[in-house]
Amino acid sequence: MHGLFRWSSKWWPGVIPLVVFWAIAAWTSTAPLESDLAARSTSALKDTVLDKTRIEVAGRDVTFAADAFSEDGRRSAVASVEVVPGVRLVNDETRLVPEAKPFVWSAERDVVRVTLGGSSPLPASKARLLEAARTALGGVEVVDQMNLSRGAPPRFDNAALLLLDQIGKLKDGKVTISDTKVSLSGMARELGGREAIAAALKNLPEGFSVAANEIKAPPYIFQAYKDPVAVTLTLTGYVPDNNVHAALAAAAGRKFFSEKVVDNLKASVGAPSGFAGAVVPALGALSRLSTGTLVVSDREVKLSGDAFYDAAAAQIRAGLAKDFPQGWQVKADISVKPAVAPVDPTVCQQLFSDLLARGKIRFESGRATIDPDSAGLLDRLIETALRCPTANIEIAGHTDADGEDGFNQALSEKRAQAVTDYLVKAGLPANRFTAMGYGSTQPVASNDTDEGKAQNRRIDFVVR
Amino acid sequence: MAYLVTFHWGWLLASLLLGLAMGWIAVVHRGQGVSKLTSRWLAVLVAALVAAALARVIPGRPGYWLDLGLIMFALYLAGCAVGSWLRDWALSQHTPAA
Repeated sequence: MHGLFRWSSKWWPGVIPLVVFWAIAAWTSTAPLESDLAARSTSALKDTVLDKTRIEVAGRDVTFAADAFSEDGRRSAVASVEVVPGVRLVNDETRLVPEAKPFVWSAERDVVRVTLGGSSPLPASKARLLEAARTALGGVEVVDQMNLSRGAPPRFDNAALLLLDQIGKLKDGKVTISDTKVSLSGMARELGGREAIAAALKNLPEGFSVAANEIKAPPYIFQAYKDPVAVTLTLTGYVPDNNVHAALAAAAGRKFFSEKVVDNLKASVGAPSGFAGAVVPALGALSRLSTGTLVVSDREVKLSGDAFYDAAAAQIRAGLAKDFPQGWQVKADISVKPAVAPVDPTVCQQLFSDLLARGKIRFESGRATIDPDSAGLLDRLIETALRCPTANIEIAGHTDADGEDGFNQALSEKRAQAVTDYLVKAGLPANRFTAMGYGSTQPVASNDTDEGKAQNRRIDFVVR
Repeated sequence: MAYLVTFHWGWLLASLLLGLAMGWIAVVHRGQGVSKLTSRWLAVLVAALVAAALARVIPGRPGYWLDLGLIMFALYLAGCAVGSWLRDWALSQHTPAA
């Protein structure tokens, strides 16, 4: 042992090459060692959920910065770097992701893109939301402006995914989740979109509620165009359902006695309340125009066209002012058709016969009240009467053979008188018209069939 | 430590061999050794460095270089001790025969 001390005093010369070795070793090994430790630290963190992870190695000391999503997660991340073999010290620069209060997430759609903004709870859910947005909106650019925050309500992902599905149904608009409150605004892409979104919102995860749903639907449009040249009535746009569709088609058939009805209507939800109650009188007003267009857009009715004579224009305007359900607006732009050239009384008779062959003046059953559906036909008859101002005209009422003769006689007289009154009210001189009732004495068809009876119940215009 | 040994085994082996060689030579070397006082000061210096390394007070790369140097030095000393002892043993085997 004593020898060892003696010899050791002579070991120093070897220190010189040792220092040289040490210098070379330090020079060549530092960079590989650092990158090896960085790789080991990174792989140790592979299964930990972190954001903005940064690992810097100086010698064997690791500077570890990251945003963690919980205190436990933060501690376990630091611990897993500390136990990496070879790491001497860990400079812990980790912190918790800031907590958002309230936790707000939004998705905003404009014409060309969808912008996701606000807070998202975890990188995985952020990626899932982006992916869902791209899938739901195939082809639309998705812009990610989400940051990561703590404090998301439970089941946040499910709520956000459900709302992203709804974004596809919007033309433009914004959906927002603020804590557990959901708000939506914007314009639905299609009719019925608003209703579909409202229905989908019922499936929001437990705990979430709708604070505001201000989705607007595109205007609910119904159009009718009366074309005097083609003698057609073209219906386009939407009706609420098949029942209303059938009712409108029937009303159009009654009111437009000579026009062919071209029905291009489609059924769709989203009609304003009182739709049928507004469209039927509007069609009635259109039927009294020689040419005209009816546009019903949401609760706004626009009617434009030419009436046959001055009094008709005034009557139509007055009717439009009172016939509509509450909340509806009516804009009428009605002019009067230029007067047609006068004709010979014989031509007038021919025109009356033509008109009455195509349509009949209808009355309430068993009474002398003129059915409003006949207003269009009466306007045409009045226009014709105006063309032969010198002719005296007999208004002849006829009934079928059902019932007592006396009753039929009286009814035919009253009905003829009602038509005469209508003509006088329209501005024609009363002395040109004679109201005559013939009861069932002049049938034009057999009274044995319903069809024949219907033909016998009639008003004739006879030029005398 | 285990990590440093596996990462630097080549350099550590070189230090050990250098120590063996130096220890082998030192037994028959006639030159001047370091004085007792100097060797004490050196021992104090090494102890201070070891203490600094264990306390991890030197940060970053210099800290790593210190660790590396101390391990190489430790293996060098171990090599020297083994080398000197082997040479002494070899000499004592020869002397009686001569």
